[in-house]
Amino acid sequence: MSDAVSELGELTIVRIFDARPEVVFECLTTPEHLTHFWGPIGVSTPLDGITIEPRPGGRFETVMVNDETGEEYPTKAVFVVFDPPRSYSFTEPDVAGGMTTTITFNDLGDGRTEAITHQTNVPPMFSSPEARAGLETSFVKFDAYLASL
Amino acid sequence: MTNDSLSLTFAALADPTRRALLARLAEGEATVNELADPFDISLQAVSKHLKVLETAGLISKGREAQYRPCRIEPAPLDEVSRWIATNRRLWTERFDQLDDHLKRVTNNAEKEPEA
Repeated sequence: MSDAVSELGELTIVRIFDARPEVVFECLTTPEHLTHFWGPIGVSTPLDGITIEPRPGGRFETVMVNDETGEEYPTKAVFVVFDPPRSYSFTEPDVAGGMTTTITFNDLGDGRTEAITHQTNVPPMFSSPEARAGLETSFVKFDAYLASL
Repeated sequence: MTNDSLSLTFAALADPTRRALLARLAEGEATVNELADPFDISLQAVSKHLKVLETAGLISKGREAQYRPCRIEPAPLDEVSRWIATNRRLWTERFDQLDDHLKRVTNNAEKEPEA
């Protein structure tokens, strides 16, 4: 796995999975599959909390539950692109003023898939050149921190 | 930090003039007049921008009655970088688990007899 902050505040994660694009895409967009891995470590995503309407404009909602405390983290997103098995994207209006996540699947031709996860508006103000110039010169510590991510 | 205050920070930083004001304050505290000097906008407009930054907790104003110098408050920016780090960790753990799940899925598919 490799990853990079391509622009300040835009997060790109490149990851190769040992399965064909069709399988990876299906796992990431089917409730029964999502329950197995969607929550990070220590967090579950029960089936009854997952809503997936597999089309542009459709809902993509989950409720992640902390295994230890039972605390619930509902997420509400809307699909912008739904193009199996090539790519999908969803936007979360409630997160940080609107965050969009796009995952693109490249068939490596040997049964493996390269998945490129790109998040924008993380946060949005860093994406313009002036913003980057301003922040890069002034918040050296912050810049270095982002580069180390 | 709640999502709301994070949004407030993002919104405050979304304006180039406000970022420039913050950049100046990163070098050291300054009065409103000093801050307004390099800009081709009214003192009133600068005050308005400073108010937005202050509401977002990105700057504070001194108590000295006459000058009330502004200074930068780094905590919200730290929160932003923490938030990015958390988000990145979320996806890494998620994909680690997807890796395991894919192994199970593809193994099961191989074991199924040909129809």
